[in-house]
Amino acid sequence: MAPIDLLFTFLNGLSTGMAVFLVAAGLTLIFGILKILNFAHGAFFMIGAYVAYSITGSNPSSLWIFILAALVAGVVVAALGFVTDRIVLRRLRNVDEAYTLIATFAVVLICSGVVKLIWGVNYASVNPPPLLDGAIAAGPLFIPSYSLFVIIAGFAVYLALDIAIHRTWIGKLLQSVANDGWMSGLLGINVPFALTSTVIASFMLAGLAGGLLLANQTLSPILGESYLLLAFMAVIIGGLGNVRGAFLASVLLGVIESGSSLLIPNMPGMATYVFVILFLLAKPQGLLGGHRI
Amino acid sequence: MRLINTVLFAACLAVMFTIPLWADQGILFIAGLVLVEMVFALSWNLLFGFTGLASFGHAAFFAIGAYLCGYALRADIGAPFLLLILAAGVAGALAAVLTGIVLLRRTTGIHLAIFTLALAEILRILVGYSTALGREDGLASIPRPSLELGFASFDLASGEAYYWFLCIAASVIVGFLWLICHGPFGRILVSIRQDPERTTFMGINVPAYRLAAFTISGATSGMAGALYAPWAQIVTPESAHWIHSTQPMLASLLGGAQSFWGPVVGTVLFSIINYSTRNLVGLAELVIGVVLLVIVLAAPSGVVGLVHELRRRLTARVSHAGPGAEGKAGSKGKFVQEAA
Amino acid sequence: MTTLLNVDNVYKSYGSLPVLKGISLTVEEKETFAIIGPNGAGKTTLFRVMTGEVLSERGRITYADHDVTGMSAHDRVQLGMGRTFQVARVFPEFSVEENIIVAIEARLRSRSESSLPWYRTRPRSSVREEAGALLQDLDLWSKKATEAKFLSHGDKKRLELGIALAGKPQILMLDEPTAGMSPSDRIATTELIIRLRAANAMTVVMTEHDMDVIFGLANRILVMNQGEMIAIGTIDEVRANPIVREVYLGKEMYGADG
Repeated sequence: MAPIDLLFTFLNGLSTGMAVFLVAAGLTLIFGILKILNFAHGAFFMIGAYVAYSITGSNPSSLWIFILAALVAGVVVAALGFVTDRIVLRRLRNVDEAYTLIATFAVVLICSGVVKLIWGVNYASVNPPPLLDGAIAAGPLFIPSYSLFVIIAGFAVYLALDIAIHRTWIGKLLQSVANDGWMSGLLGINVPFALTSTVIASFMLAGLAGGLLLANQTLSPILGESYLLLAFMAVIIGGLGNVRGAFLASVLLGVIESGSSLLIPNMPGMATYVFVILFLLAKPQGLLGGHRI
Repeated sequence: MRLINTVLFAACLAVMFTIPLWADQGILFIAGLVLVEMVFALSWNLLFGFTGLASFGHAAFFAIGAYLCGYALRADIGAPFLLLILAAGVAGALAAVLTGIVLLRRTTGIHLAIFTLALAEILRILVGYSTALGREDGLASIPRPSLELGFASFDLASGEAYYWFLCIAASVIVGFLWLICHGPFGRILVSIRQDPERTTFMGINVPAYRLAAFTISGATSGMAGALYAPWAQIVTPESAHWIHSTQPMLASLLGGAQSFWGPVVGTVLFSIINYSTRNLVGLAELVIGVVLLVIVLAAPSGVVGLVHELRRRLTARVSHAGPGAEGKAGSKGKFVQEAA
Repeated sequence: MTTLLNVDNVYKSYGSLPVLKGISLTVEEKETFAIIGPNGAGKTTLFRVMTGEVLSERGRITYADHDVTGMSAHDRVQLGMGRTFQVARVFPEFSVEENIIVAIEARLRSRSESSLPWYRTRPRSSVREEAGALLQDLDLWSKKATEAKFLSHGDKKRLELGIALAGKPQILMLDEPTAGMSPSDRIATTELIIRLRAANAMTVVMTEHDMDVIFGLANRILVMNQGEMIAIGTIDEVRANPIVREVYLGKEMYGADG
């Protein structure tokens, strides 16, 4: 294999990994603070994508419309997150994990039903906006500019989250709630407020991811699943609830996925699952387990 | 109370066996699927509702049984059908033992969920890659076998005949699971779900019991798959898909995971909702989602638990007029034993 | 007298924090042995090492001629080591009677005292009789149909004792049997333990905070402080020990003397 192929595979993997991270970011955030594994995250990702699609159509007229649509999707899904928190998530505090998974799975069914009723079951696809539909040539290497956009977006979201968690007051507040919600309550921290903001932030990330990853996707009611499983794996390998861990794990999984599609193209996903099993058998607490968010 | 239960049970059996006499082909097909999914859901719930382990990859065991049976019937290897079903059970049990030995010692909860899910997806990818198993298209036009019993032979090619066979086979497997769940073994499994550590200090080797439950569950899931293949006459990698793994969970939770018959009630309700909303795409999911959500949030013991609760209140009211507070506690306790 | 349980120079640490620094003790048959010490002394860890909940890093534990040092907890129970927990643990969804029945069945199955068929849907009459006798002994017969989660704290403690007794232990290990009880419940529990101990010819090992309970029950005492043994001996020997008076027992002992 030529080094150029390796580099290309790596960049491809990085792009996949960043896409996975965009989904995993909200998932790990909500787990870190609410201890809820939100099965419905993928479904809200899908709703974000449909909302953005309703704004851009199949051919977004400019990069700005594309980004604006993603932001709108983020806001819409954040609002849905507020509602979901009120009706569902709030009642799932301190409930057995299995019931949480089933309740959020019920939300998946509701979302998927609603999407089918509103947008139908036909597949749709969206082209990248004008600025992103080409490729950038770097020597002999052609990088699709949309992949580059995803990589940059992933990094940007990661940096924003990392700074928000480790450098701002709200991040410190969330960390203390994640460590010991009961104690934080005693110390006068408004725990319900912190939890609700986490849910809203997490859902906003899901909607934003749906909008940002809209291009080059087949938009269908099963879109939610495709990233959800990978994002789940990333969250678990990263050490449940840890944003940095999820970032590293997403990149790792992306590169493995991309590398394996080069080596064993007939079995997509195989290498990832094998890796996940072996990794968790060897290191059940994950990459950065123990360090909350 | 016992009389009501008996009558109810007999009525359900009567409906089950007479469906071919009054329903059309479409409903008959769905009824057959319900029987298969019922066995599958009960198998899953032996783990979840009784032992306290949530497997998210149970479709793998189902698919193993379905592919084994489908392949053997297509290849016409001449093995008796009953033997094929047993072989599917053994294959499911073997797969469960192998995964259980690796996983159950160390993991429960979320990790177990992810492990089982990943393993099932690996199986699905492998099956989808295997040319012998028809790749993504699966095994189509699986013939329905005939049943050789030595003294008699039944041709199961017609829908009615195979349906009746399904009724009997499903009853046998369900009966087997019922006996397991209601004996000392089942009681110890329920103890493990409630408090594994306390159970350990009764001298019980908890990992061994978990493994045993996992193995039995794998075996009966495999048999459910084997019954499915000739009924649907096609088996695709979708049967190993994680979405299929969620079916028994939804049915069990809908019906009530703490009760033995919960998954059966759930499976039937599920099919009724699906069938009655079939004309509007998306509505079925919406309705099932809402119902499921209401049940998980408001009545975690499922439909069966809800019915029991209603009955309990009724009996409490009756005894209230009678022997007073002592009698109230008594009737409630008696009731608990009946439900267990 | 023969030695039933022998703990020989046991060490245990959590991370870099040593919790047990070379503990040795012997428990004779049919005696009651109490482990006391201030919070953080390592009592609970010692208890856990003896029950098999955690394994010790060094040292040896033998029980009735078996080396149980690396043995799993359930195997130790099968050899006859029963236990209760500090916070009573019963099966909340089972009725009081079922709690005892499942414990009897567990004993029958795991010790193969009889080949109990797995398909028997109702407990056989001998099991029910045994459960009934035990419940009467514990004064829980009138509550046998109540779901255990509705029991009062004291009743839960007694039911848990019943679960342990259903295993027919030779040695019963009680982790703070009167924790969180009212003074009158304490007295009742102490009397109950004395009665059951005599009826079943049992050896008892216990950790306990309450001095009255200890004086009422124990033959010998081990006093621990910061993972070390301060003193071991009969009540009078320990009372006379100046270090014990100084570190821990002082106040209560004088109170008890006077």
